[in-house]
Amino acid sequence: MIIRKISHVLSNYENITRLFAGACLLLFIAGILLLPLPYSEKQLYPKTFDRNSSLDPYDRGGPPFEQVGIVSQYPENSPTAGFVTSYLTPLSLFLSEQTLHLGTTIVAHPGGIIDEILYNTRGLDTVVEATILFIAFAIASYIYRRV
Amino acid sequence: MADLIGGIPLFVLEFGDELVYFTPYTITLFLLALTFTLLVLISRPERQIDIAFGGDAYRAKEITVAEMRFRRFMAIACGLATMGAMVTGDIFNFTLFTAMVGITNVGIVAAVKSRHVQDAAYQYGLVALAATVPLFAGAAVYAAVTGSLSMIELMKGTVPAVPLIAKGMLVLGVIGEGMAPFYAAKAEMFRAPGAPYVIMCSLSSLLIFLRVVEIVMLG
Repeated sequence: MIIRKISHVLSNYENITRLFAGACLLLFIAGILLLPLPYSEKQLYPKTFDRNSSLDPYDRGGPPFEQVGIVSQYPENSPTAGFVTSYLTPLSLFLSEQTLHLGTTIVAHPGGIIDEILYNTRGLDTVVEATILFIAFAIASYIYRRV
Repeated sequence: MADLIGGIPLFVLEFGDELVYFTPYTITLFLLALTFTLLVLISRPERQIDIAFGGDAYRAKEITVAEMRFRRFMAIACGLATMGAMVTGDIFNFTLFTAMVGITNVGIVAAVKSRHVQDAAYQYGLVALAATVPLFAGAAVYAAVTGSLSMIELMKGTVPAVPLIAKGMLVLGVIGEGMAPFYAAKAEMFRAPGAPYVIMCSLSSLLIFLRVVEIVMLG
């Protein structure tokens, strides 16, 4: 009987969103109550912030096309780890020399987005992230063109 | 003890910091996803027919080739994402693949020209969108507490234990992306014609759910 009632509520798909939101809320409240969580000092890919850099907070150090020392999980698997593949286009370089706030617009102009693919360590992540984005574009464009 | 859950890794593919490993458990899930993706690739979709009850009248639903082509593309993308989620040995990579499964599931049903189906797909899209928060938050807590994202390291027990809340977040995120227990809502979406493609929604969510069970038992 109770199962039938639950099924009846769930059969309205608009209730699913509310149910999921409620579940998230409960879990996050539990998460806040369980604070503080321990923090491991031995982190992968540590980075330091240089607040005076014009690329802050995206400036992760290292000159372009050079290798910098980073902590990776399996250094033996990727000898090129830490190779900085980022660079700025001439326009971005000019902007970064003029203002201290380029970091806030780093992904909003050409040449800035390349900075995101920074160290040659977690390559597959970058590929999958871009794939998710393009799948979303594909769905949106299909629906937009059809209507 | 913990390393026996999925079996001992038979083969580890070294892929930078993101190891891909195959245990008997993940091989089974991977082959299932692979087989179904191949089926989607080669099969011809169903043609749905509505029959008026108590009479001889029936009508075939019109489905355009463009729609079918798009849905097949989404189903194959979903299969590839599921395969990736099955074999990856990295927590963050798993969450990314799971997010991709969620969005391709929406894509499979959103292409259907039916108001009812699209309403359901929209609500499902909202849940998949919201589910990325606990999903990636779970991965972030994993990284913060253990200082590692590699499942192999979790399996070895060389890193601190993972708190229950991180596991809960990961599971809730996967539930949201795959809508695993909410088949009542999925049934609405299954009114969409096109048999092999809609089944991909179910299969992928089932598989990522089976995989996350293994992952939360690791650390």
